[in-house]
Amino acid sequence: MNILLALIPVSILLLIAAGIAFFWAVDHDQFDDMDTPSLLPLLDNPDKAPQPQQPSQPPDHEP
Amino acid sequence: MDCGGCWHCGEPLPAADAPHAMIGGTQRAFCCQGCRAAAEWIEHLGLADYYRLRSEPALRPAAGADDNATWLRADLARHVVRELGDGECETILLVEGIRCSACVWLIERALGAVPGVTRVQVNAAAQRARIAWNPARCSLPATLDALARTGYRGLPLDVAALDDSRRRESRDALKRLVVAGFGAMQAMMYASALYLGAFASMDATTRDLFRWLGLLVATPVVFYSARPFFAGAVRSLKARRLGMDVPVALAIALIYLASLVEALRGGGEVYFDSVSMFVFFLLVGRYLEMRARHRAGDLGDALARLMPMFAERVRADGTLERVAASALAPGDLVHVAEGAAMPADGVLESARCRVDEALLSGESAPVAKNPGDALVAGSLVVQGPARLRVREVGAGTVLAGIVALVARAQSERPRLARTGERAAAGFVARVLTLAALTAIGWSFIDPARAFTATLAVLVVSCPCAFALAVPAALTRALAVLARRGVLVVRADAIEALASATHIVFDKTGTLTLPLLALERIDLVRAGSRADALALAAALARGSRHPASRALAEAAGDIQAPTIDELREVAGSGLEGRIGGRDVRLGRADFALGTTAPEYDDAIVLADADGVIAAFHLSERLRADAAAAVAALREAGIEVEIASGDAPAKVAAVAARLGIENWHARQRPADKLARLAALRAQGARVIAVGDGINDAPVLAGADVSIALAAGADLAQASSDIVLRGEHLDAIAQARTIAVETMRILRQNQRWALCYNLCVVPFGALGFVPPWLAAIGMSVSSLVVVLNALRIGRRAERGHRAARFEREAVA
Repeated sequence: MNILLALIPVSILLLIAAGIAFFWAVDHDQFDDMDTPSLLPLLDNPDKAPQPQQPSQPPDHEP
Repeated sequence: MDCGGCWHCGEPLPAADAPHAMIGGTQRAFCCQGCRAAAEWIEHLGLADYYRLRSEPALRPAAGADDNATWLRADLARHVVRELGDGECETILLVEGIRCSACVWLIERALGAVPGVTRVQVNAAAQRARIAWNPARCSLPATLDALARTGYRGLPLDVAALDDSRRRESRDALKRLVVAGFGAMQAMMYASALYLGAFASMDATTRDLFRWLGLLVATPVVFYSARPFFAGAVRSLKARRLGMDVPVALAIALIYLASLVEALRGGGEVYFDSVSMFVFFLLVGRYLEMRARHRAGDLGDALARLMPMFAERVRADGTLERVAASALAPGDLVHVAEGAAMPADGVLESARCRVDEALLSGESAPVAKNPGDALVAGSLVVQGPARLRVREVGAGTVLAGIVALVARAQSERPRLARTGERAAAGFVARVLTLAALTAIGWSFIDPARAFTATLAVLVVSCPCAFALAVPAALTRALAVLARRGVLVVRADAIEALASATHIVFDKTGTLTLPLLALERIDLVRAGSRADALALAAALARGSRHPASRALAEAAGDIQAPTIDELREVAGSGLEGRIGGRDVRLGRADFALGTTAPEYDDAIVLADADGVIAAFHLSERLRADAAAAVAALREAGIEVEIASGDAPAKVAAVAARLGIENWHARQRPADKLARLAALRAQGARVIAVGDGINDAPVLAGADVSIALAAGADLAQASSDIVLRGEHLDAIAQARTIAVETMRILRQNQRWALCYNLCVVPFGALGFVPPWLAAIGMSVSSLVVVLNALRIGRRAERGHRAARFEREAVA
């Protein structure tokens, strides 16, 4: 049973770590919007990332 | 996506000369220059994938560009831009036109490509974008312009008022919930060791170790997660009333302290697992409810866009200066250009003008205003300009009053949830009494067991099932309904919807489309159909009246003669001079100058010699109106029409839909009286309308349903908004509401049953702590799982229908 004396503190440390990680995530906007991110992953297409062109050059036709 | 309409927005193409552009290597047609420019810009940014990804056509870009450059002025930007410190600024935009996930993708990339923008976050549900940028390399107008180029309109929202209270509340709640969840889990683990130890023998040291561990994990749960209950209890005690938090807080405190005492003196039983679980379940209920409330709040904020941000103040010397609308004071003179919105309530000082007050009246026809008439903030000047002497600003305006009313109604917790929680609180109070009685009873019989038995009563009785019964069912129902385009603004509507016996439809714009169609032409003196239409189109093409648009559409490509001195007489018709003769188009009494009963409901084209032709227009029924009416009737609901229109027109629509009960020429007061009569007979009534001209009716009904195309204000003040404009969603929504109420009652009955069965055993001292813990979690789990059944059947049907549709397409 002595193994408990080692494992229980470990489990409590893990618990605290998980809690801290979660608080960090909440404070860094990870849980503010629960709807939009679920829409996006299927759309992401890394090979076609937009070239950061300079939008200072507008197309020929102005609205 | 290519349905023959505009490549960008999907609207019909103009008859001739549709603009074209090369998009993604293919020539595409557009309905207007605005759409073409947006599409070309998207192509230019390399984001043409948007057209492949989207599932809904885009919103047609607004014609008039906003004057975004004004935001450069520091005194105005101060209200909407927040300095983040490390050389960054942040603002939140309300974005009009987010329709599907591809919009989110497009906006994030299009704004991300603006030099100097460091972060873009789009929230599709709330229609917002949060943007951070480096003020040295970028500015707010630059981001707004980039958004406008892509075809979306962004409106900066007041930073201080907007985000933080709601965001902080939701973050706090989430943290407390997760701490309680972790704590409950761990406490349960240590407790199960204790429970097993009760069967197999466990030595006292190990037992005490696990008790202290339980104490260790339960302490943050009680002192951090359960703080809202203690704070609420203190608040209501200070206000000298026994709120719902009082018994809950008392129970938490008693169980925790009693377990602490037991752990200290090393005897009896501890209940650290139960107290953590208790807190966790109660918090889950509250969290679900809070999310539903916030979602409704997002809708309410959309009203903010009705009020303009800037105003043109007239200086003493007559020149204009641009100021923030919030800087106006009563007594100022303000210039409002044609097409702009009133920045404040006031009195018209300049000559006659015409104003669109649709946000108040729902009537899209402009209203003529004379000098001295009152004008309300948010209404649009259709024919102007207007000079306004300011009377009320900001929070004092009529619009702000309505917005506040809507916001308050939305922040109120649903009545079902309130009664549910009251039931739970009453239950806890009774349990506390029972616990006291148990303590007294046992102290006579066997004082040694009094403490344990009392504690067992407290623990085994579980108000969690009560507290979860309502929010779990409601949250599930709201989510299921939202997925089919039915936005429930007030959760109370579910209860009323389930018990409805009657439904009253408005006709125009609800059962019928807000468009007219040409049915037939009586040719009196016109040579041919084309001649009659050519003359009519010459007059009608410039007008936006529904009848004019129907005629212009029917005329199509027919070459219309040139016309001089075209004039529109509001509420009557149009007149002008074609080829030397005066021609009039409109109601018979206007076109002919006399009444003509045979042309009572036709549009008459006439000149000085009399009638040339008469056009009969018919209303277009919504495609799913008949199916919706049939489905509602099948569900046992009486269907009625109450319309302000002429009896003949209402009768025609009623006959096509097979509705026997219809009432024509109903003023709002008549409609209200009709509703009152129905309700006096014990009926519960659903009212369906599209504008706020139905406001009294919508307010007088048990549930009001607005169509999303209607006035913004009508939507915000109704209980339910139909987003997809599918009338048949009403019948589906009712089915789901009935199911929700059934499951909700099952839940409450189950909670009551469980507690009635188990509390007497607790009082008699027969319930060991492990059984209490199992009973508590199982009873809560049953409630949640039961709630998840809502909409399962409907969901399956929905998916099958969609599959079929896709297969056909």
